[in-house]
Amino acid sequence: MAVLEVVNLKKIYTTRLGGNHVQALSSVSFSVEQGEYVAIMGESGSGKTTLLNILAALDKPTSGEVFLNGRNIVSIKEREIAAFRREHLGFVFQDFNLLDTFSLQDNIFLPLVLSGKSYKEMNGRLQPIARKLEIEEILNKYPYEVSGGQKQRAAVARALITKPQLILADEPTGALDSRATDGLLRLFAQINRDGQTILMVTHSIKAASSAKRVLFIKDGEVFHQLYKGDDTDEQLYQKISDTLTMIATGGERGSGLPRDDA
Amino acid sequence: MVCRVMMHNSLYFRLAATNLRKNGRVYLPYLLTCVGMVAMYYIIYALALNQSLQSVYGGEQVSLLLSYGMWIMAVFSVIFLFYTHSFLIKRRKKEFGLYNILGMGKRHIAKMTAIETVYTSLISLVLGLVAGVVLSKLFYLLLLNIVQYGATNSQLMLQFEFSTTALYRTLLLFCGIFLLNYLNTIRMIHLSKPVELLKGGQVGEKEPKTKWLLAILGVICLGAGYYFAVTVESPLDALTLFIFAVLLVVIGTYCLFTAGSIAVLKLLRKNKRYYYQTRHFTSISGLLYRMKQNAVGLANICILSTAVLVLLSATVSLYMGGEDILRNRFPRNITVQLHGISEKDAPKIEQMLHAFVQRQQVSSGNTLHYSYLSFAAQQNGNVLQGELDAQVYYGAGMRSVYCIPLADYNAMRDTKQTLQPDEVLLYEIGSSIEGDTIVFGDRTYRIRERIKDMDLRSSSMDEMVGAYYLIVPDLQTIWEIYQAVGGEPNPLLSYFYGFDVDADADVQIRIMQGLQTLQAQQEWHGGVECAEEARDSMTALYGGMFFIGIFLGLLFILATVLIIYYKQVSEGYEDQSRFEIMQQVGMSLHEVKQSIHSQIMTVFFLPLLMACVHLAFAYPILNKCMAMINMTNSVLFIWCCVGVALLFALFYVLIYSLTARTYYKIVRQ
Repeated sequence: MAVLEVVNLKKIYTTRLGGNHVQALSSVSFSVEQGEYVAIMGESGSGKTTLLNILAALDKPTSGEVFLNGRNIVSIKEREIAAFRREHLGFVFQDFNLLDTFSLQDNIFLPLVLSGKSYKEMNGRLQPIARKLEIEEILNKYPYEVSGGQKQRAAVARALITKPQLILADEPTGALDSRATDGLLRLFAQINRDGQTILMVTHSIKAASSAKRVLFIKDGEVFHQLYKGDDTDEQLYQKISDTLTMIATGGERGSGLPRDDA
Repeated sequence: MVCRVMMHNSLYFRLAATNLRKNGRVYLPYLLTCVGMVAMYYIIYALALNQSLQSVYGGEQVSLLLSYGMWIMAVFSVIFLFYTHSFLIKRRKKEFGLYNILGMGKRHIAKMTAIETVYTSLISLVLGLVAGVVLSKLFYLLLLNIVQYGATNSQLMLQFEFSTTALYRTLLLFCGIFLLNYLNTIRMIHLSKPVELLKGGQVGEKEPKTKWLLAILGVICLGAGYYFAVTVESPLDALTLFIFAVLLVVIGTYCLFTAGSIAVLKLLRKNKRYYYQTRHFTSISGLLYRMKQNAVGLANICILSTAVLVLLSATVSLYMGGEDILRNRFPRNITVQLHGISEKDAPKIEQMLHAFVQRQQVSSGNTLHYSYLSFAAQQNGNVLQGELDAQVYYGAGMRSVYCIPLADYNAMRDTKQTLQPDEVLLYEIGSSIEGDTIVFGDRTYRIRERIKDMDLRSSSMDEMVGAYYLIVPDLQTIWEIYQAVGGEPNPLLSYFYGFDVDADADVQIRIMQGLQTLQAQQEWHGGVECAEEARDSMTALYGGMFFIGIFLGLLFILATVLIIYYKQVSEGYEDQSRFEIMQQVGMSLHEVKQSIHSQIMTVFFLPLLMACVHLAFAYPILNKCMAMINMTNSVLFIWCCVGVALLFALFYVLIYSLTARTYYKIVRQ
């Protein structure tokens, strides 16, 4: 069963004075199955961020529907949206979005505290995650005291601790050095193996090549997709790279693009 | 070439103007404050120098008070404008960094800020002085009204002239302040590095450390200050202790706001069951950082608010209680007090005075007359040791003792009280005697009754050191007591005669002068006083104080407003990013708003709350100080305190809600 189903999503921004209409998404449809690890790629301005914001229920589409586990999130009432977001979705951001005023542990606890969980339960949930992410030692430190990679791992822990149906990651490697990037991608692959569904938006080929499926967005539409299948990361890397070249040089859809083996 | 230089220079001018406009949100309030302070300084200076004011009776006192007020204003202006301006510059660090990276040298930035300073100074001085000159007339009339000169001297209303000296001095002071601020700007630009400049306000926020020592010191200081204020007994101690208590409370306030608040919040955070609750979680950690940055500012607000409250409630009650004070000091419109009178002379003198008053063709009455003997004594428990030669009353335990025969008392109060030979009635002022007996040397008297309220002349000296009025069975007892404390046998008595007159002040003063002539003819020792004569100088004094109270109160309120406003603005910029993150992590807009609202409320209403607590604890000591100037109407004083506090709270809420709007605008950007 599909965890996420996106149907005919359309988003038009109107400039403040009502003059110009900018179409960010023209018609996007795709679905994500339970346990999948999907990367969405596209150039700046292709509509990636708009898509992610709509999936995160931070923004409303002009038309179209988004189903999370069969529930239409577009129609959720404003009052319930925050609770829905923290119970069903986990977020990992490019610039971590950790609060300076909290220690890493408290940052990770934040969504649970908001849901009114007891300290005992929170701590019980944190321990295995912290062990897996190797942040046990730094839980009591503050975001400004640790490295970017450590911050991002804490952010991943914050996303995981609510046991979300779907993790949404927005350029998670964007602010990391290459070593930390490798670490984080390994981590994503690992938690995916454990059954966690992940949807990642990125324009890093390296990040995308760690996913099981890659969707390409161009001009507000899903332009193409690649399945990893039995390819290694390196092979997928090459395919993605070819696809991007093709998109950039204006190749027609389906002509000369790397074949989808799956 | 010339053209290029000119273009170059005009660029600076344009840049400076744009900068001010762009930073309008922080510069406009600063400019308004500068204008306000310039205007107020000119006004108070012009009033202090005003010649016609000094020519009136009591006017010199008012002028002196005004010049004290002027000095306070000057010192306050320097500190306060320096403080606010450095806040402004800190906010603009990032902007300077950008200019630096875009290729402006530090020297160019200094030049640009110099032009900005010239602009702001010109605006403040011109607008401020215009406002000052226009409003000074208004304040002059207000002052005349308060000290009630207008009624007696209508010519005075017109005699207020523009003062060039005040103008020059105001210019001098504020040019000095603006120059100081500019030098500080240059220093800040000079010391900084462009990369740091670019980062500006957002250098890694570290969690505040708990300074236990400071927190404990704060508690001790505040506790000690409160203890002194509450337990002070004699008004005389009150005056010396007051400064000390104020100092302790000020230190305590700063320590508690900076260290105490953080210690408490950290303790709360350690309590896991309390901390990990939705309502407390974000608030406590948020407050920790807010307090770190704002503690000093909040302590400033607290101290200023307390100053406003104390100043206003004291001066308002003095002004409103003027009539009571006068009546305390002068129990009757006209009083005659004679010394060295033998008991045989007393009736004769009474007759002469009575006859004189009858001849005056005015309706008079409410006559109060009695003989008494007074001496100084040292109190030790219920034992009073005579100090008949005492010149100075200021030692601890020193009391005034007045003995009045029962017959005079019964006549005075229209009662038929009787006393056994060793019994007395006691009326206590400013101190008290415990137990049922009072001892003079080898003689012990039983206190039959304590008189609650008595309509007698009380001097501020009595209020200060404490005094006892003893109603004794007869003259014989007075002599016994006097001998028991070491006095000579058969001493001469004092005699008091007072009455109310239903006539104008002029007539009353004429009667007083007539009585003074009579006194001189008869060669009586003593004096004749008239309340009306003292009224003018008293209204001048208390009216002047009231005026200064309003004036400085206004100034402090202005300062409080500005600090609150700037705090809201800087809080707003700080919270912008936090607001966003919290929403992304799963707080609803409503929850975020609620959390931030409650934090902001705590932060801004804490100083007000503290100020009110300070005032409540200051009340006993203030009351004692007021008693020294015969202001014994504590009920009026309480109402003045409550009224002023309520009014101030109302004003505070108003400022808060106005500035909170700016805050929400910034946060939602």
